[in-house]
Amino acid sequence: MTRSNLTRTAVATLVAGTLLSTSACGLSGGAAEVEEAERTGKVSGGITFRTLQLKPAFTSYVQGVIDAFEEEHPDVEVRWEDVPGDGYNEKLVADAQAGALPDVVNLSTDSFQLLGDRGMLADVAKLDGALAQDYVPGAWEQFRLPGKGDGVYAYPWYVTPEILTYNRELFEKSGLDPAEPPTSVEQFFDHAERIAAGSGGRYAAFMADPKGRLPGDWQKMGVPILNEKRDRFTFDTGKAVEWVERMKDLYAKGAMPRESLLKSDDINQLYGAGKLVFGPGSPGFVKDIKQNAPQVYAKTRVAGAVTGTLGHIGIYAQSLGIRKDTRHLDAAAAFARWVTNGPNQVEFSRKATIYPSNARGLADPLFSDRGDGKDAETVARAVGAEQLKSAALDANTPVQWTNQVGDAVVREMQKAIKGEQDPRSAVKKAQEEANRLLADAAAQ
Amino acid sequence: MSAVDEAAGPKTPGSKTPGSKTPGSKAAESENGRAARREAAGRGRRARAAMEADTGLVHRSWWTPYLFLAPGLVMVCLFSIWPFANTVILSFTDARILRGGTFVGFANYARAFADPGFWVAAGNSVLYLVVVVPCLVFLPLALAVLVQTKIPGIGIFRSAFYTPVIASAVVVGLIWQWVLRSDGLVNTVFLKLSIVSEPIPFLTDSTMLLVSAMIVTVWKGLGYYMVFYLAALGNVPASLHEAAAIDGAGTVRRFFSITVPQVKPMMLLVGTLSAISALRVFTEIYILGGESGGPGGGARTLPFLIRQVGLGFAGETGYASALSILLFLLTLVFSLLGRRLSKGDET
Repeated sequence: MTRSNLTRTAVATLVAGTLLSTSACGLSGGAAEVEEAERTGKVSGGITFRTLQLKPAFTSYVQGVIDAFEEEHPDVEVRWEDVPGDGYNEKLVADAQAGALPDVVNLSTDSFQLLGDRGMLADVAKLDGALAQDYVPGAWEQFRLPGKGDGVYAYPWYVTPEILTYNRELFEKSGLDPAEPPTSVEQFFDHAERIAAGSGGRYAAFMADPKGRLPGDWQKMGVPILNEKRDRFTFDTGKAVEWVERMKDLYAKGAMPRESLLKSDDINQLYGAGKLVFGPGSPGFVKDIKQNAPQVYAKTRVAGAVTGTLGHIGIYAQSLGIRKDTRHLDAAAAFARWVTNGPNQVEFSRKATIYPSNARGLADPLFSDRGDGKDAETVARAVGAEQLKSAALDANTPVQWTNQVGDAVVREMQKAIKGEQDPRSAVKKAQEEANRLLADAAAQ
Repeated sequence: MSAVDEAAGPKTPGSKTPGSKTPGSKAAESENGRAARREAAGRGRRARAAMEADTGLVHRSWWTPYLFLAPGLVMVCLFSIWPFANTVILSFTDARILRGGTFVGFANYARAFADPGFWVAAGNSVLYLVVVVPCLVFLPLALAVLVQTKIPGIGIFRSAFYTPVIASAVVVGLIWQWVLRSDGLVNTVFLKLSIVSEPIPFLTDSTMLLVSAMIVTVWKGLGYYMVFYLAALGNVPASLHEAAAIDGAGTVRRFFSITVPQVKPMMLLVGTLSAISALRVFTEIYILGGESGGPGGGARTLPFLIRQVGLGFAGETGYASALSILLFLLTLVFSLLGRRLSKGDET
């Protein structure tokens, strides 16, 4: 080969590479309709099981559950893989497009919707008609898909409900009754106003954190986030504007740490240092405080989440989906049911601050024991479980509320809360921008 | 490569007399065979064929050097050149993270120019550069002159000034956050001394947030560029200072008339390097100003905007690529400006 030949080869390779990449770019994501697997009645075969960030903390627990299952069904071989949380959804969708989804897959709320919307998940209600009664209704209902009929597309696994945590001492200092925590967003703001009036700047009521607060607060106030077809945002309402006005007013009065408008990652430190009245709304946090700030822990009270009249609460729910075209449907279904059964879920919640979605699991005395009503961790467990039993609806973030939508809305809210923009036009601009992003995403 | 070149001697066909050849120079010769061919194509090839026939000791193919170059070349192509080319291609499509796009011409660029967010970010990036670069060119020089003095224990000072460079950006950001927050060190002291009546919004006002981030960048860069200057100062001949001192020049005069002209090439280098890193600033603003990049995103720089646009499920890869290309062009302009300045200096 001569030099000119070499050049030619190099150029050809480059061109080929470029073409290859453009064609790869042009590869469209529209996967063909997946064929549904059939039941055979024989629980056998090799299945893959993917979990979301459970290694290494819960390796022995998960492996124990798998081993017990394999012992009961010797014809089934379960291959377990654990994937870190970062980029989990992206990996799932890429795998779905490549036809490489695992047979049983751990889904978070948003990954459930992503795979469900693409028709990649088996209808588990159809697989087993009697299944529904095993789970808490609130958790079971979560796994329906809007516009897809009566189907339920995942086995509910562990859940973490939103709760309310607060500092009793600071409540009393502000002249508030610790026995009567706020139950609606409006009351929550009223409490914050009282706290700000008496704090003298020594402590704040809550973190502004618009990114974390929305769209949950609006949902609780009854603001419709999306229209029926879920293709347009409709949150530009009087209630949403009222929310912004109150936030703005409270921010000016010092009810929130100034910097919390931008970031809230120091919430645990602030609460632990007694500089914040309302702590984070997750049961896991109570455990953190117990370990890191025992003095504040002793003053911590736990109550049901702020819900408003509609009874919405935020539930962070994990589930197990079954790949629709799995080759071993019976084995996959039996395994998912095994992992999410009462005893296995209760065992899991003894190891982590989570709650079973299984009705029998939740009925375990562990979850109704309030002790002497003073230990925040024990009360948190009971309060969370109580809410799970009764909560009919949830205030989860719809998938349409993407990171970009959240950022765009939050930018307008920040300006309004700081007083640089009128609340009414802030909400209007936020909705316009959110709809533009939604339309852009749908156009492709 | 260079060792081989030297062994080969002058690259003329005449130097290839078969008798004078050692195996070493033979290897070198085939390396230079191509250069030679350029000058005397036909003759070179014949001579080469003859040579290979009569030594026959080491058979070397034309591709041997490429084999040695291959590992490096493959890495560079795979991780630098290819992604760059791909970014250029993507910038003309409406690709998203998980979906390939179609060709949309200059639509992404048009969108960027019509997007007020882009202009704010570009303005912030340029402002960052305009403020930070002079600080990072002059302050480390002053610091280097100070710690250049040979007094006992000066090593401690040098190390101390270098410490922020070693500290991770996140740690530095957190420290400064505690210094600058509304209930942080600076504000507490100022409030106690009644210098201010309201906390200064270092982190909650877009402009102040940018200034705070600049302070962190400069503080972190001081030690780094100080080392550059220490090396340059070591090369300034002591005789020049002596001569100037004999002529009656004072310390200040000697600094401006001897030191500055002598380290000027280094100043230009530092200027270019710090300009490039100023245009790439992200971490400081992210840590101090949170995910949104200041209230209402008012303190976002171009890299910040690119990350925000391109990240996550709805990430607009095409648009983010176009923004990256614009950032690249901006960086290129300032780098060329730096080069022009240094060229002018040499003549």
